[in-house]
Amino acid sequence: MIKKVKITGYRIFESFEFQPHENLNLIVGANESGKSTLLEAIALALTGRINGRRASEELNPYWFNTEVVDDFVESRKAGENVAPPEIRIELFFEDREELQHLCGAVNSEVPTLACPGTSLRIVPNPEYADDFERWMESPSDILPVEYYMEDWRDFADNRLTQRPRQLITAFIDSRTVRSAHGVDYHLRNILSDNLDPSERAAVSLAYRQVKVSLSDGPLREINDRIGVGQASLHDKPISLAMDQSPRTSWETAITPHVDRVPFSMSGQGQQAAIKISLAMDRHSDRAQFVMVEEPENHLSHTSLAILISRMQDLAGEQQQLFITTHSSFVLNRLGLSSLLLVGPSGAPRIPELRDDTVRYFQKLPGYDTLRLALADKVVLVEGPSDEIIFERVFVDIYGRRPIELGIDVISMGGLSAARALELCASLGKRVAVVRDNDGIEADKLREPIDDFLEAGERELFFGEIEHGNTLEPQLVHFDGEDKFRRMLGISARANLANWMERGKTEAALRIASSDETLNAPDYLRAAAEFIHG
Amino acid sequence: MVNRLTLAVAGSGKTRGLAEHCASLPRHRRVAVITFTQANQAVLRTRLAAVAGDHAGIEVMGWFAFLSRHFARPFVPFMFPGRRILGFSFDGRPHRFAKGAARFLDSESRVYACELGRLAHELIEASNGSLMRRLECIYDEIVIDEIQDFSAHDWDILDVLLGSSIDVTMVGDFRQAVLVTNPRSSKHKRYAYAGAIEWFRERAETGLVEISYSSITYRCRPEIAAFGDTIFGPEWGLPQTESKNYLETGHDGVFLVHPDNVEVYVKQFSPLCLRNASSSGKRYDLDYVNFRVSKGTEHQRVLIVPTAAIEKFLHAGVALEPGPAAAFYVASTRAFQSVAIVVAKADNCGLPWWEPSTKMVADKEKTAFQSDTARRS
Repeated sequence: MIKKVKITGYRIFESFEFQPHENLNLIVGANESGKSTLLEAIALALTGRINGRRASEELNPYWFNTEVVDDFVESRKAGENVAPPEIRIELFFEDREELQHLCGAVNSEVPTLACPGTSLRIVPNPEYADDFERWMESPSDILPVEYYMEDWRDFADNRLTQRPRQLITAFIDSRTVRSAHGVDYHLRNILSDNLDPSERAAVSLAYRQVKVSLSDGPLREINDRIGVGQASLHDKPISLAMDQSPRTSWETAITPHVDRVPFSMSGQGQQAAIKISLAMDRHSDRAQFVMVEEPENHLSHTSLAILISRMQDLAGEQQQLFITTHSSFVLNRLGLSSLLLVGPSGAPRIPELRDDTVRYFQKLPGYDTLRLALADKVVLVEGPSDEIIFERVFVDIYGRRPIELGIDVISMGGLSAARALELCASLGKRVAVVRDNDGIEADKLREPIDDFLEAGERELFFGEIEHGNTLEPQLVHFDGEDKFRRMLGISARANLANWMERGKTEAALRIASSDETLNAPDYLRAAAEFIHG
Repeated sequence: MVNRLTLAVAGSGKTRGLAEHCASLPRHRRVAVITFTQANQAVLRTRLAAVAGDHAGIEVMGWFAFLSRHFARPFVPFMFPGRRILGFSFDGRPHRFAKGAARFLDSESRVYACELGRLAHELIEASNGSLMRRLECIYDEIVIDEIQDFSAHDWDILDVLLGSSIDVTMVGDFRQAVLVTNPRSSKHKRYAYAGAIEWFRERAETGLVEISYSSITYRCRPEIAAFGDTIFGPEWGLPQTESKNYLETGHDGVFLVHPDNVEVYVKQFSPLCLRNASSSGKRYDLDYVNFRVSKGTEHQRVLIVPTAAIEKFLHAGVALEPGPAAAFYVASTRAFQSVAIVVAKADNCGLPWWEPSTKMVADKEKTAFQSDTARRS
């Protein structure tokens, strides 16, 4: 199991370090935040490969973190003799017996630490040192990767040339366009890892024999016919035979079938499901790493639900899963405790939630926890009318909608504000909780969520009891009944209380779109000012 | 842990025995087979391929490679944080008073061969147990050939290996200790030669190691085996060598050859000619091999040009120092059938003198006469 990942100078990660969960890691982040890059980096250091090809073949200037490169070029231009940028990805494994040959202290830990591990570095190739220095005379921000080399080693400082036997890695990317053969590199790997060496050998041998029998059978008659009279370049006989070269090994001819339909002919959602089942269904007890990119792609809601429960069934103790997702459903069902929030700041955040909160969201997989996780700042309100009025108040003060400033106003719709607040608190988010006082004293209102409140970070806002129990009386209190009727567009004879009771949301919409100046209740104004910061 | 030391006499089939030992192990056992010389590694690899080709877990490597791969390279940061070992300096020597990393690594971060043992030993402790845990997980057994070539810090490392969960199987002959891994170190000088046997006997008493003897030579004639036994005194406490070479060629055993007869002897028997060092034996124009270099080889007959000390040993019975004794022992035991020693007098040894037959002398004179006449005409 990977205990720690350290990435330096690779793409978006200038300097990045995190300790994954033992079994399941749900990697969540905004677009371009580095979710896929993180999986890619882990796979690189595990297998030395990216998209099925050696790192050295795929190396390109965009692998280098732009800020690191810019700093380097600037410094060199300023005459400082700084060392060229390097990329380093290090994986620290659990100190298990079967991984001991990868164990050593040749890693970047301070103080010195010995544990099994691998590191992939992209470093200047000393053979091209002179050429590199010549390039430095007029540097650009596109590094000359031709002068770089890949250096993939274990922590014992042994150079690795192929994936260590124990580090079985499956990469499932449901986004990939299907390949012409239907079976791409990753699936071939998954298939061949799924079989025992003896099973593999048996299949390979049988496949060879089938090919031989074809050559000996139907092809023989044909060969007898074309063997005579047809002259090749050097008058040698021509015959047809099955290709026995490795290009045509069983791996390229054998493909999974679902209900007798070949893999490549089934839907993309089905393909992803098959890959996940094959990759996770192993009988061996070796360390294994499964990486899944956005399992929700191409799947209907029900199919996704089935896939998720299958993943939960298959996940063994010896498997470590890394899953990127954009789906709150996946997140809630697999458990918020496994969440790993990747953000622009580099250091990922892992929430520490109480078990009952994790279970709470698992039972409510439809709840949009991702919005909570991804927003910069959050305003938790009770319902749609509060959401609408708060937005209006905010726009009145700042001239822009809260979402434009990274503030997400989320209506709880009857769910527990305390649970949402707990998640936000564990991710260190700034939160304003806005609620009706419902005629309850301040202390009592505060009590259920007091653990997660923190002055300046997460605060609770509500109106004074004498100004009204809920939003509407509060609005009437601050704006006066006449103006209020004007904003709602109702006559003086209509019963205000009844009207608002029947159409809370409609009322809120009318108020929000009214041209009249809204004299906002104090607590809403305070909440807006607090969250704006 | 089962630790065994076999003290084997020259010509007892040590290498073959090692290969057979490896072949007899369970197929999946993970074994490091360690020897000191490259030549020996090549021989062992060939032998193992022949008899234990199905044992995928057997690795043959040199002692330096073993220390470098499993001790120094993975764990050097424990003593020198941030440092790596980027190579190996076989001939380099650190400055006599070098401290810290400079003691062990040269300016290009290559580790000095002569300090590798000390570095490896210090890392065992510096790594807080990681080093030995790693090694114990990687190997079930370590087989060490030529254990007599251990020196200095190697003994401390061996002590740790003996106490580990890894089985250690050792083979060697301290009478053949002619290699020195660290020529400058004074540490553990007392464990050279006889001291080394003492070292093992102490450990045998506490049950850490079992010592057995392999005293049958299939190479040397009984006369040669018996003579070899006299080179080291009885204080070594070694059993008598038994010979199973019963082949008779008409010239078998150990002989003294007078300097005047060397040319004739060489002509008649074509022995391998051995000398102590390139500075010795200059009196005769022979195709020499040095004593130490001949180690590991075998020949039908050898001729030895002795050092002054060897002459004293033969003439007056003055015991040789352990180093020279080992070199002389190696030289004498290269031969299957005969050993000839070139001396003018050797009163104390009781060895027979070889005399050219009259026919030979006549032949020699005839040849000289013929070439003489040829020149004249």
